[in-house]
Amino acid sequence: MLSRVADSLYWMSRNIERAENNARVLRVQLIHMLETSSQEVADRDWEEILEVCASASDYYNLYERLDRETLIQYLTISPFNTNSLMNCMNYTRENARSTREILPEGLWEVLNEFHLDQKDWQELPNTREHTQAYLDKVIKTSMTSQGVIESSMSRGTPYTMIKIGKWLERAEKTARILNVTCEKYKKEASASTSTNQYYYWLTALQFLNGYDAYIKEHPPTMESEKVLSFLIKEGRFPRSIRYCMEHVLEAVHKLEGGKVSHYSEDLFQMLELIEDEISRTNIEEMEMESLMEFLDHFQDRCMTLSRMFSETYYLIEPVRVN
Amino acid sequence: MLTNYQTGTFFDEMMKQDGQPKRHYQWFYQLVNQFSERDLMNKHETAQLNFLRQGITFTVYNHTGGTERTMPFDFVPIIIPRHDWEKIEKGMKQRMTALNHFLDDVYDEQRIVEAGIIPRDLIENNPYYYKKQVSGLKVPLNNHIFLAGVDLIRDENGDYRVLEDNLRNPSGMSYVFQNRYVMRQVYPELFFQHSIETLEHQISELHRSVISHLPENADVTSSPTAVLLTPGIYNSAYYDHVFLAQQMGIELVEGRDLTVKDDVVYMKTIRGLKRVDIIYRRIDDDFLDPEAFRPDSALGVSGLLRAYKKGNVSILNGIGNGVADDKAMYVYVPDMIRFYLDEEPIIPNVETYFLSDPEKLDYVLENIDKLVIKNVGASGGYDMLIGPQSEESEREEFKRKIIEKPSQYIAQPTIKLSRAPAYQEGRFYPCHVDLRVFVMNGETTNVLPGGLSRVALKEGSLVVNSSQGGGGKDTWILSEGGDFHA
Repeated sequence: MLSRVADSLYWMSRNIERAENNARVLRVQLIHMLETSSQEVADRDWEEILEVCASASDYYNLYERLDRETLIQYLTISPFNTNSLMNCMNYTRENARSTREILPEGLWEVLNEFHLDQKDWQELPNTREHTQAYLDKVIKTSMTSQGVIESSMSRGTPYTMIKIGKWLERAEKTARILNVTCEKYKKEASASTSTNQYYYWLTALQFLNGYDAYIKEHPPTMESEKVLSFLIKEGRFPRSIRYCMEHVLEAVHKLEGGKVSHYSEDLFQMLELIEDEISRTNIEEMEMESLMEFLDHFQDRCMTLSRMFSETYYLIEPVRVN
Repeated sequence: MLTNYQTGTFFDEMMKQDGQPKRHYQWFYQLVNQFSERDLMNKHETAQLNFLRQGITFTVYNHTGGTERTMPFDFVPIIIPRHDWEKIEKGMKQRMTALNHFLDDVYDEQRIVEAGIIPRDLIENNPYYYKKQVSGLKVPLNNHIFLAGVDLIRDENGDYRVLEDNLRNPSGMSYVFQNRYVMRQVYPELFFQHSIETLEHQISELHRSVISHLPENADVTSSPTAVLLTPGIYNSAYYDHVFLAQQMGIELVEGRDLTVKDDVVYMKTIRGLKRVDIIYRRIDDDFLDPEAFRPDSALGVSGLLRAYKKGNVSILNGIGNGVADDKAMYVYVPDMIRFYLDEEPIIPNVETYFLSDPEKLDYVLENIDKLVIKNVGASGGYDMLIGPQSEESEREEFKRKIIEKPSQYIAQPTIKLSRAPAYQEGRFYPCHVDLRVFVMNGETTNVLPGGLSRVALKEGSLVVNSSQGGGGKDTWILSEGGDFHA
């Protein structure tokens, strides 16, 4: 397989996963917003959303202050935000377009349909209702894409590249969301009530589409250790850090036919190291401080891993979008 | 349906002057009459959406950037009786053979120049003549033209004539397949009574042609690796590239995916470098290799020409084909047929005047309102004047351009291009059509049955190019005995 093609598949997958995750975060926030009484709390919440979905420093380079409507615009359809839903979906389609000859026709059609409809979205007035519908459409498009991939692609190299992109993106997003939540928890630990704390961890679970799954394992308690342990170490939950990393390792193993060659040695070592670090960590007994360190450290690891992965398979720059 | 349809003074593919369908359209006519107006509208809509949804688009560039557009599809097919098609097929094979001889000759001994048939400076001054790069080179199978897309028109008598030989990078073959596919999906009823030539084996024919061009130093113990080299997703014909690569099962590569080491071409894969034997390129000559052609080309591959010259890789179509298919050399193709094959052309040219001839120049300047003027180096319907449909100011502008550089232009009489009914926006009306025929050459020559019928959907317009509002039609070649149905 061409390196450029592998690269495009990897980035296609990361971008649509990113779009789906960010859309879900926004969807949850738009509902929570209605339940938040104080303006101050609401503003702080949006600050965190920005942190989870994009880069705060990029935002403040463009705008002086955090204004809710501006931010929603920035995160959804702004052309100036590389991680806006619209841009992520455009990158997804462009990457798919440059690899069309090896993707299932159905996948291309799903992405193309979104693109064709997107033109209409941009013309619509910026109302809450339209934003909601747009977020739903992004999520649905991502899920349909995954359905096409799972049901029609052979389990060969292209499929593996797509899955690795998805899992890395997921693991990173989970770490990021937890990091922001821990920070908030720590800052407000003294002042906040147990209701507030309940609400933080509930939100984290909802951001990661894990509420239903969590509740089945842990009837309605919302203890921080339990939630953190679930989202980091639960081997059966498909967005937990452990689940994602185990699957990346498995996929690379498959890609290499179970062998470790000299060129893939570093990559395997790194993957095994990460897995080891996760399994050695006892989440339930950790202080918030060291947990945050752990999450920071893991995000650094993800960056290194992504770089190593690219180097091992000679991946190049993703397709540029004009 | 076609009650108010007027053929006028034009040759009509489907209808006779008395308002009755021609014999080979009889069944089609009856079937269409069974559709209600609503059926027709719905089917039309479904067909257009099909193309859009599948992203079968081409890109049009203007000052605001590129827009992806679909080629409008018209469901009234061009039906060609077996007998007429056989003549076209023969004519195409003859023409390709002569043109291939010419290319071989022009980069070698130049016998045709020695014989005084083609003026030397017409060749030497041709911007697509790459003497320095490829003269004296032996190409695989001695074949320069792996794929040609020859544009045919019919005049007012219904006689086919060649309008252009596209010997460089003819596009549009994917549309032939997609038009047929959509047609079968949306109008299955129409196929029940017709027995037409299938397109099914054509992709394997194409693939066979590609891999028959083995380079001299290919490793014969393993099967050759062929790739399709595209300029990338921003190219207007990108869909064509995707379709052909996918259907032939060869890798679709961009220039940045290839590298040349020790005069061997490799592609960059996730497992390292893999040797490439045959490149079906869809990049123009001057962008192929910055070392040998335009140094500013970001699409090409450095060292490609060296690898080609060493016999380590084949490049299809051959480099330097442009010298044979520009609008000036076109005039000499009938002479090439006589010179190399000692035959008379089966399908004639359209009469063409050179403006470098002062006598002709005067004639053209005086009669510009009756003629078509074309830039010899342009294609796609650009830099072209259609006299009878032009404004005074446009004619003045072209006169100025012609006087300034007469050798850059040719003139042709305005041919009464044949027409066929088109169904758009709820009604049938006559539109001018032409036909691009695809000819594949390898160890044998194969003419794709039918081709891309292009239609100028703007009423009265003569320009069929998709970049200028043209559309496509399915083309049916009736199989043996196919024009008779009990």
